[in-house]
Amino acid sequence: MSSSIIKKTSTATGFIKAIESGSKHLLMKRFTLRFPEQKLKFVGDGYQFDPKRGVGIAGSRGRHILFHEKCTGCQLCAITCEGIAEAIEMVKVNEKWKQNKKSIMPQIDYGKCVFCGLCVDACPFYALYMTDDFELSSFTKEHLIYTPAQLAVKPKYDGTVEVKIDERGASHG
Amino acid sequence: MTNKYSESLERKIKETTKLGLDVVKEAAEDRLMTLSVGPQHPGSGHFRFTIKVDGDYIVYCDPDPGYVHRGEEKMCEYRNFIQNIPHLERPVIHDSTNITYSYSLAVEELLGIEVPRRGQFIRAIASELNRQVYTLYWLAIYGIFLGHSTMFMWPAGDRELFIDLLAALTGARVTHAFNIPGGVRNDMPEGFKEKCLEYINYFEKRLKEYEDIFYNNPLFRQRTENVGILPKEDAIDLGVTGSVLRASGVPHDVRKVEPYDVYNEIDFKVQYMKTCDSFARAYVPFLDMRESCNITRQLLDKMPESGEVRLKLQSNPKGLIGEAYKRVESGRGALSYYIVSDGSSKPYRVKISVGSFRNILALPHLLVGSHLGDMPSIYWALNYWPVEADR
Amino acid sequence: MATAPKDFRFGSFVGSVVWLIFWIIVIVSLVGLPLIFIILFYIPLPYSNGEVITPYLFLSMIVDPTRTIPIIKFLIHTDIFRAAIFPGFMYAALIAATTIFVERKFLAKMQLRTGPLYAGKIEGILQLMADGLKLISKEIIAPSGADKPIFWSTPIIFVATAAALTALIPVAPGWVVSDLDVGLLAIFAILGFFPLLALLFSWSSNSKYPFIGGLRALHQLIAFEIPFILSALSIVLLSGSLNLTDIVESQYAFWFFAIAPISAFVFYISSLAELERVPFDLPEAESEIVAGWLTETSGMIYGLIQLGTYLKLYVLAALFVTLFLGGWMGPQIFPQELIPAFTGEKIYNATVVNGIFWFTIKTFAMIMLILLPRGINPRIRIDILLHTGWYKLIVLSFINMFIVLAMIYGGIITPGGLQ
Repeated sequence: MSSSIIKKTSTATGFIKAIESGSKHLLMKRFTLRFPEQKLKFVGDGYQFDPKRGVGIAGSRGRHILFHEKCTGCQLCAITCEGIAEAIEMVKVNEKWKQNKKSIMPQIDYGKCVFCGLCVDACPFYALYMTDDFELSSFTKEHLIYTPAQLAVKPKYDGTVEVKIDERGASHG
Repeated sequence: MTNKYSESLERKIKETTKLGLDVVKEAAEDRLMTLSVGPQHPGSGHFRFTIKVDGDYIVYCDPDPGYVHRGEEKMCEYRNFIQNIPHLERPVIHDSTNITYSYSLAVEELLGIEVPRRGQFIRAIASELNRQVYTLYWLAIYGIFLGHSTMFMWPAGDRELFIDLLAALTGARVTHAFNIPGGVRNDMPEGFKEKCLEYINYFEKRLKEYEDIFYNNPLFRQRTENVGILPKEDAIDLGVTGSVLRASGVPHDVRKVEPYDVYNEIDFKVQYMKTCDSFARAYVPFLDMRESCNITRQLLDKMPESGEVRLKLQSNPKGLIGEAYKRVESGRGALSYYIVSDGSSKPYRVKISVGSFRNILALPHLLVGSHLGDMPSIYWALNYWPVEADR
Repeated sequence: MATAPKDFRFGSFVGSVVWLIFWIIVIVSLVGLPLIFIILFYIPLPYSNGEVITPYLFLSMIVDPTRTIPIIKFLIHTDIFRAAIFPGFMYAALIAATTIFVERKFLAKMQLRTGPLYAGKIEGILQLMADGLKLISKEIIAPSGADKPIFWSTPIIFVATAAALTALIPVAPGWVVSDLDVGLLAIFAILGFFPLLALLFSWSSNSKYPFIGGLRALHQLIAFEIPFILSALSIVLLSGSLNLTDIVESQYAFWFFAIAPISAFVFYISSLAELERVPFDLPEAESEIVAGWLTETSGMIYGLIQLGTYLKLYVLAALFVTLFLGGWMGPQIFPQELIPAFTGEKIYNATVVNGIFWFTIKTFAMIMLILLPRGINPRIRIDILLHTGWYKLIVLSFINMFIVLAMIYGGIITPGGLQ
């Protein structure tokens, strides 16, 4: 337990120290990240979940990726999302897979998704992961609904900028 | 000489006399001006309070919360324990780990499980980092509303470092959805510990700059010292919590008084000040940030090298019949959850008690009798987050 | 995002160019030519070297360089050039525009960020033009209960008053728009008009927050006029005249800043308060009274008031330089002859150019000093402000005045320079 007592500095010293502190910053590097030209590098390869161990693997939670060869159409992701954002709906696909008797796969509406990743936790077959891609804007609301075929494509994200700290301050890139 | 104003006044007097209302009282109160510091005001956040001003002095204040009420507590009753996490963290999106921390602790008591040790440490580290993020955001807004634009930019920039750390750890910049009943959702990525230590070391140097340009600035001191004095007895009577309580001389911190998770193994001091004014309320979070760096370093040291971070539960766990009450120290004060369960997989009643809602009770107490120019320094020093108070 | 542009068709492009040429021909022949003839009939043309300069003669003179230079010199010394372009409005507006841009970049660098970056190729240099175009295109909303004549005319009077102030500043020897014998007093008289304008505008906005802001502006601006005048009074004692050109010329040996530093400090603080800059920007305190007396401004009215404010900034910085930092005095670094054997007469006047150079540099340094507190200090409260203005600053300026009086009485300095 400690109570802090502030030393009262005189007015002139206070101002001079403030001016000194402000002027010191004129020599430091700028911290701005110039977004479309510079993009941050993310750790890992997207959020993934290991159902056997019951724990996730650290990564950035962006757009989902659906592995068609593993999805069985069990609807657990849709059932989980029903209580959260109601963004996943199972739709019929034209593909025939051995493990997917009913031929249904999830379709995700990014207008409603909150990117919590609990659907990834719910999937028991390693079929739904999340990737680094977060630039999902579009001109119409219908284009935000990603069909299973669109979800199968792994997006390319080329962010390379990291925060660098040196004696002249922290900066991006 | 009549102009349109005196004509309308005469008309108003005639109408009210016809209705038999008391007009004399109206004229005496003409000296007061009612200002609505409402949601459409750059100095109030999403919250409205009405003040009546007599010249430069405030004579009446009436806070009016409820602008952002979304029925969080009711929504909890329709979702099971795990599906509650994403919407429960929305009241404070910057400090989302702390508001779900208390929920997870209460639900773990209802489910009768205990989180593995490494999970507890990671939870505590995420909570401390999140506390820094929130306090920096609050400091930025406090600076700009006192007119200090540099104090807005510097904390907002330094906050990016902690948000980067949390994004690497949890996957999202804000609204982490990281705490879950049973532990945390994923383990630390590689290289996290070194990066965390590097950023914390850099940040402690920045804290000295904040002190030079803001806290020791004579103009800031003149504006906040001896302003809005909340004596110790009044603070305890009103039931304020968090940094407001600690600035009035009561050394109360939930992490020390009722330690949860691994906080009983960490050695830190509760920061408090005895001066009870607005400056103390602004300075205590700053001291808390310094102490938080300390705590994070100890947590990173003492963390076990490997281990489980999450208990494997069935996907729709059923709670034991009973109730649970757990409290956590968040950026704004003590945040507690009281959950009643009736044996099913959805909670029967969730009551969230937040620090902001209790702190705002001090606002009329402090504002009445102070200058209009003291309104930002008193209001924002109470560390009030409107969305959380309205839930 | 805008809609996608239509495909380019060469035919419609040529059609639009022809349409443009058609309209230019119509307007020039129906409006422009009569206007030129009216001017030629009614306005007396200037004389130079015994000849009347008609437009035809003027154009032919430009081709022949030996006759161009006297023409240009003649034009430069006319009154309208002085009032509108060189020491007058254009120069001041250029410095004001540069100040706005420099302020944004300077503050951004102090706050570890970038500032304007994308407008213009180099580091956002055309940002001001972009802002101006944006403000012109916005709708000006006058509140329904507002007092319309005052509401619409006050910003224009504001800019006109600020521009009138620029007419009194001496930029180089012989280059003042109006060389009054009571120049300093005239500046204070015009500065005393600004509190009235703030009050008029806030009253005519008919709304609560502007009302509070206007009263605060009134209190602040009036309170700080007195230390302002008192600190300039020490300089008047030292130089013996109220004429600004004489004040500069009496600093030939040393700057008055060396004898009256306390007065300079008081002048600096008072000018920060007169300009409503941080830390004294309570009339527009955003978090308490929602932009104060400027709340109801929108569109070009806001633009005009900003222009007026920055013109005032230039004037007060230039006044500080004139009174305390020696005006245009400085070591002569420009050579007397630029191209000696060109035409036989001098192309430029070296003293004048030297004066302009030193004046501009000193004014810029002073402007940077006025911009600095914005990055460092929070806003002050009204009662602390009035306490400072009425007590502390008046006392400080009197102290320096007594020091100066003592020095004059002791015979060290006479009005007009060293003993």
